[in-house]
Amino acid sequence: MTRADHILILLIVCILPLLYLHLWFNDEPAKFLLIQTGSNVPVTETLRPDRMLHIAGPLGESIVEIRNNRTRFVSSPCIGQVCVHSGWLSNAGGFAACLPNRISLRLIGQHPRFDTINF
Amino acid sequence: MTEQLYRFCILLLLLAASGCDEPKDPVFHDQFFAFGTLIDVSLYGVEPQFAESISKEIEQDFMDMHASWHAWQPSVLSSLNEQLSAPEPTAIEPSILPLLKEAGRLSQSSSGLFNPVIGKLIALWGFHDNALPVGTLPDSTAIKELLEQAPAVTDITIGDTLISSVNPSVAYDFGGFAKGYAIDRAIDHLRKSNIQNAIINAGGDLRAIGQHGDRPWRIGIRHPRENTILASIEVSGDASVFTSGDYERFFEVDGKRYHHIIDPRTGYPASSITSVTVIHSDAATADAAATALFVAGPDQWLSTARNMGIRYVMLIDKQGTIHINPAMQSRIHFEPGLDAQISLSAPLQ
Repeated sequence: MTRADHILILLIVCILPLLYLHLWFNDEPAKFLLIQTGSNVPVTETLRPDRMLHIAGPLGESIVEIRNNRTRFVSSPCIGQVCVHSGWLSNAGGFAACLPNRISLRLIGQHPRFDTINF
Repeated sequence: MTEQLYRFCILLLLLAASGCDEPKDPVFHDQFFAFGTLIDVSLYGVEPQFAESISKEIEQDFMDMHASWHAWQPSVLSSLNEQLSAPEPTAIEPSILPLLKEAGRLSQSSSGLFNPVIGKLIALWGFHDNALPVGTLPDSTAIKELLEQAPAVTDITIGDTLISSVNPSVAYDFGGFAKGYAIDRAIDHLRKSNIQNAIINAGGDLRAIGQHGDRPWRIGIRHPRENTILASIEVSGDASVFTSGDYERFFEVDGKRYHHIIDPRTGYPASSITSVTVIHSDAATADAAATALFVAGPDQWLSTARNMGIRYVMLIDKQGTIHINPAMQSRIHFEPGLDAQISLSAPLQ
């Protein structure tokens, strides 16, 4: 065993716990926003930079805001306004939809905790 | 000894590093709108082109079922409802016969708390429209008159080819049942196509079969009052997870919420709980049971669940207390830091 071997073992002993924590316990925040309109293929948007998206649906235009890695419906031409009242989505798995205007938002991470959400 | 330790450490590092290179997501995802909601299709380990074509077939099935079972637009069901207002027997469209029989069976097992023939009452509340009523309540006299006529599935006689009713107030509405039945049909379609690992999620209500590769499907259950996850369950094999809540379709008058789950005994929205979650093998039963248990409320949900053969229930009352049976408690994982009182019920079986 040379001195280099000892340094290598020390590095391995230090790195392994970090790798373990990173791979098993890192509750990753949302990375992308999936926007579905009607039966079209979902469009993927990044959560940077902050911006407003104007999305056309059968009732008119819905406005979606992306700010500080979060997203929300700002306005939508539906009567119930359930989508707007859903508020900010910030975690992977977060979901909101304007069903009358056929637009849905879903936040996804690279390692989502759940395969699907019941509500 | 140090040489062995050195080799062991190198082995551990290699094992850890091998976990960093994860394969591409093996789940095919597709979405479409039907039954007034968003349908999610997730298929594990299916070749993408085949998955795409199967998903399109399922979408077409959903569209056909929605068109056929629509309660307030011209459809097979709305034609049947018109004919049921007359006493003479009428011919049954064969495609809808199994649906009528299953709805009748589930209604009777729920002692009428799931009632698929109160379509006229639901229409009176304004839920037979894509736009919900704003600022108007139905006439209380009209509600009372409909209640006095007491529409029930037992008023209807279903034969092999003919159907008749002795009560002109009956009108089918499959709002508390159609999604579940449609999901079951979609799962049958997948299995016939030799797809064994999948999830069909229709507006938050779902059935999962098989699993996600070498691990179970992980299903999050959303909090009924917050935009967070309340709990989760894992599914390996076959399970439907359905939740009925007062937050799904509702309108407000003078600050009071009126939602779409009407108690057939009172004629008004069931008002004693916030949500109920049911796990069962088939989705049609889970759908009808979630509606029936929501109507049953804190006092009757246990007996209703027993009568309907339901083994897993979680109910959240207006005070935020979570009522749960022991089998459900052993199956569900609440999120860390949950601030809610949990009340364990008697066993269901």
